[in-house]
Amino acid sequence: MQRRVVITGFGFVSSLALDREGTWKAMLAGLHGLRRQTKLDLPLEPAQTAAEVDLPAGAGAGPRATFCERMARVALAEALGTSRGLDGLDPRRVGVFQGAGTSGMPIAETYLQARMAGRWPGAAEAVYQTPAVVTDVLAAELGALGPRSTVMNACSSSLLALGQAFERIAGGALDLALAGAAEGLCRTTYAGFASLKAMDPQPNRPFSRDRAGLNLGEASAQFLLEPLEQARRRGAVIFAEVLGYGASMDAHHPTAPHPEGDGAARAMEMALRMARLDPAEVDLVSAHGTATPANDGAETTAIKRALGTAAARVSVTSSKSQFGHTLGAAGAVGAGVAVLALRDQVVSPTLRLVDPDPSCDLDCTPFQAKERRIRAALVNAFAFGGNNVSLALRHWEGA
Amino acid sequence: MSGDLGLVVTGVGLVLPCGDGLEAARASWTSRTPAFQTLPDSVGQGRGAVCAAFDPAGIIPPMQLRRLDRPSRFAWAAVHRALRDAGLDPRALGDRIGLAVSTLTAGSEASEAFMRPYFAKGPEGASPMVFPNCVANAPSGHVALAFGIKGPSSTQLDRENAFFAALDQARWWLETGMVDAVLVMGTDGLFPLLVELLQRTGLAARHGDPHAHGATGLLPGEGAQAFVVERSEAARARGARVRARILGLASASEATEGPGDRRAALARAMREVLGATTPGAWIAGANGHPRLDAVEAGLGGDFPGLPPPAHPKALWGELCGAGGQLMAAALLGSPGSVLISAPASFGSQFAALLETL
Repeated sequence: MQRRVVITGFGFVSSLALDREGTWKAMLAGLHGLRRQTKLDLPLEPAQTAAEVDLPAGAGAGPRATFCERMARVALAEALGTSRGLDGLDPRRVGVFQGAGTSGMPIAETYLQARMAGRWPGAAEAVYQTPAVVTDVLAAELGALGPRSTVMNACSSSLLALGQAFERIAGGALDLALAGAAEGLCRTTYAGFASLKAMDPQPNRPFSRDRAGLNLGEASAQFLLEPLEQARRRGAVIFAEVLGYGASMDAHHPTAPHPEGDGAARAMEMALRMARLDPAEVDLVSAHGTATPANDGAETTAIKRALGTAAARVSVTSSKSQFGHTLGAAGAVGAGVAVLALRDQVVSPTLRLVDPDPSCDLDCTPFQAKERRIRAALVNAFAFGGNNVSLALRHWEGA
Repeated sequence: MSGDLGLVVTGVGLVLPCGDGLEAARASWTSRTPAFQTLPDSVGQGRGAVCAAFDPAGIIPPMQLRRLDRPSRFAWAAVHRALRDAGLDPRALGDRIGLAVSTLTAGSEASEAFMRPYFAKGPEGASPMVFPNCVANAPSGHVALAFGIKGPSSTQLDRENAFFAALDQARWWLETGMVDAVLVMGTDGLFPLLVELLQRTGLAARHGDPHAHGATGLLPGEGAQAFVVERSEAARARGARVRARILGLASASEATEGPGDRRAALARAMREVLGATTPGAWIAGANGHPRLDAVEAGLGGDFPGLPPPAHPKALWGELCGAGGQLMAAALLGSPGSVLISAPASFGSQFAALLETL
């Protein structure tokens, strides 16, 4: 059985706003959430620019809730708000799929630092705040009794989680799935990317000739996926249709992408095949677009290989220019941007693209949002270990 | 039988505290000899099941060995053995072979190794060589690079039974035709801070070895278990030897998290895979800690005719592949149907049914 799958709920917490429409409005207005970071005590790091989420006290609160849990709860509440309720669904056929990145790292860092100082801090939190906690919290909120999955594929985690949710609903195993991620700043990733010389002290510049690396960011994006026929019966709002996904490994280098974008191209080609999409139908690529020297050129090459001549007329955008790199949540954030672009038929801009790199010679939507016909979109997320995921989405016309 | 997923296991590669390879594991399992010992200082203080005899010589080039953390080393060796056992060359399959990994510890030891000098010296203490190993999917990246695996990859961290979440992902990739084969693997490595945390939270048993029932804590273990899983017809077409058929795989969870709820969820998963089948063997996931053991306690009474459970974690410890050790044990006994119950202290409970050949 192969069922059509649609997105009927979408919650978004970002450095621009704590809700979906506020975030989207700010993006289209050319705003970004990057600023001097305030949450991490890293005075010696030269790069201090990040995109932080300011949650009001009490927002998303739960017993001993971490920051990621709180963001995820707020995003889930918004996603449920558009879903018109889940009454009548069998909770055993409701699953939760989450990507994770930094997860419990801040707690582990605090424990390690205390031990190095000769203190014996409480150990329980460091053990129990595993990446699966957010998945379990969301499942409990949702009343889901079906499968749960916590993916840690670094920066492609949440896009793979979306792919997992899609295939289980399309295959008839589930009637509803929550998929997404929540990611906060932590010192390990901050120091890590800095050690790789991959952090730009200034706001990042995807696809620019002088791009100098990424900024880190915080966000949560949560989606409800369900079969089309069920969504119609329930009268649910439909944001977009999920058509398929592809995933691949570069088998090239532990951190650097394949210079010709081989694995990334194969992931996109796989997504197109599963989606039964002609490359000419793809009007938008929500790119991984990290603004690192290695990624953006390789991704451009990969898009050209996957889309062929159709690449010349596709719009590309990198939401890293607004939200920084949200690591485990980056795929879900990129998907969110594509979903809203498909809904409103407008591409959000890639900011600060003053001097495009000749090796990034696609239409990368510099500065300003662009209204255009968007029939289908690809969303890319790539990760350490040469791990690539691409998701195919289609504009919902009510057909 | 309850059914047949149409999937088979055609290759097995094991790195366990009892030794490397299938025969060492079989000897340990048959004799029910626990592998627990006083841990070496390099791994931690206390008792556990460490892969003391692990020998990567001839498998991992020395230059590469230095760059790998323990979970990645174990993973590399286990995959090497599994591919050889299956007679499969991933490079010939291109992106038609995937990698589904489970772990509870990958990335953690490297994170400590990265942050300890950072906290001591600031940015100049941070090693760009160590940071790439801080991610949980580092083993999958290293394995993909070493063996030329170019298909999809997923690393699952779903608690003590994450291996079965990885197996479930492999099933979807195979059923949808995305790939022709998947390496399903669990891998974990012990390190001092982890062992300390387990002891300080009372999760780890302080004295003696865990007993599956009536004990007060788990003993940690490490290792990797890799399995080549293919569709039956694909395996048949290439003349592969089949080690086991996968007849059923199910997971269930409860909205609340009391012991009774987790037990009910596990029973639901077991019922789904068993149907009317009475298996010849039952591999159980109890680890000696009351929280996890309570999930399985008394379940035998709910399933008349179920044989007494056998407990791999009482030999090789908890962690140790995040449930991969259960799958390994299932393949080591007499041929026949084997039920695996794979409980977790929170979240999804898994059950699987195999027919070993």
